[in-house]
Amino acid sequence: MSAAEIRNQIGGSWAERDDGWWLPLPPEQVCAAARTMLAGGARFVALVASPGSQGEFGLSWHWDLKGTLLSVTTTLAAGRPAPSIADIYVGADWAERETRDYYAITFEGRDATPTLMLRAEDAPGMMLSPAEEGRP
Amino acid sequence: MSYRIPIGPYHLALEEPYKIELDCQGERVTGATLKVGFNFRGIEWLAERKNITKAIALMERVCGICSNVHSMTFCMALEQIGAVEVPPRAQYVRVVVAELERLHSHLLWAGIAAELIGFQTLFMQVFRLRECVMDALESISGNRVNYSMNRIGGVNRDIAHPEAVRQAVSQVQDAVSRTLIPLFTTDQTVAARCRGVGKFSLAEAIAYGAVGPVARASGLDTDIRRDHPYLAYNALDFAVPTRPEGDVLARIVVRALEIVESCRMIDQALERIPAGPLHAGDIYTVPPGEAVARIEGPRGEVFYYVRSDGSDTPTRVKVRTPSFANIPTVTAMVRGSDLADVPLIQGALDPCYSCTDR
Repeated sequence: MSAAEIRNQIGGSWAERDDGWWLPLPPEQVCAAARTMLAGGARFVALVASPGSQGEFGLSWHWDLKGTLLSVTTTLAAGRPAPSIADIYVGADWAERETRDYYAITFEGRDATPTLMLRAEDAPGMMLSPAEEGRP
Repeated sequence: MSYRIPIGPYHLALEEPYKIELDCQGERVTGATLKVGFNFRGIEWLAERKNITKAIALMERVCGICSNVHSMTFCMALEQIGAVEVPPRAQYVRVVVAELERLHSHLLWAGIAAELIGFQTLFMQVFRLRECVMDALESISGNRVNYSMNRIGGVNRDIAHPEAVRQAVSQVQDAVSRTLIPLFTTDQTVAARCRGVGKFSLAEAIAYGAVGPVARASGLDTDIRRDHPYLAYNALDFAVPTRPEGDVLARIVVRALEIVESCRMIDQALERIPAGPLHAGDIYTVPPGEAVARIEGPRGEVFYYVRSDGSDTPTRVKVRTPSFANIPTVTAMVRGSDLADVPLIQGALDPCYSCTDR
């Protein structure tokens, strides 16, 4: 499948930027988009979480197909879980565990989200700590 | 009888700590669990609390081997946000330094691979060659590890002695073509030790998100330099070596062939480097915006997401290093393998735990 075919199959309003194609989706449609990416042979690249000003988080999942970056973004209201794609892309497992470490975001669709960079006894959300003392 | 063997976090062969727990049936590995984070420094947290000039120096400390690619990718993301035009000469200088870095990284790995295989003489030969590259990098930047070459909009230094660099690279290309590649591709000891070991399929490479030589050795024909050209790469002629076998030998061969391609690229870049300025002036802030920058580092694709609110401090810096994508693949590679092959399988990833942990 080509990047254009993947975009068509997922649908929605893709925007082309210098760094690739971006699509905003509601959280409940992210897993279906990930399945289409896998079926199309796209490689999972990264999951990026960014905190907003009202406690919400912006999340973006990034894939690559033959050099074209395909990015799906969503906004999570404060306290809402994010959809897990770790059962679709094994490579997303570490990305989700790191996101929990950094922002205390939980993922639904997986049994547990163990720590990755932090120790098991550390509280998640280290990136939200404003002070040096909060840094593990 | 099944049992679990914990290995690490400290290893005899690796200078960096990480832990692997192997589930075995006799000598056969049936599963593996990884634990990382022993080098965790919170670099993303730090980057969001420093101005971008300081953050460039910080990002260069993500990795001790491919330090240049991190400051370069970070700068490229900021340049994209600020629509900063990098002068052509600076783009060529960045290519030369990036490829020299790939050379010293691949040669370091080839030496370690030779030692893991038990080929001490080759280890010595490879490390002698690597010194030629380290000398070239030192002649350009004054440093052997962190080169401090990158700034927003260009580079800090020119290549003062391009002919000396070309000569060093020619020496490496000649030795690698005459010695290293024939040894890695035809030597029976290397083949017996590496062929069919640590198999990793194309489908697994996609599902795990493998990058760089690890992905290309499983037949995934991907290289950001060719597929999404940046800097001056679209002006250079180079091949992207791939192998379909997906074993340790394929990973060795892909990296050896890439050494030659990097030598060719450096030679072309130094021959074609245009005259002109090295940077676009002093830039301390970029306007509000976000950007993703990706480059092909020695171990594979380096991914940076940077967001700016227009101040001198980035509001979000996300770093996905190649080893972060590649290290989980070891769980698939060791499954079904002999216990004695695990160190070689791990080594063939060319893992960097420091940049994985950041």
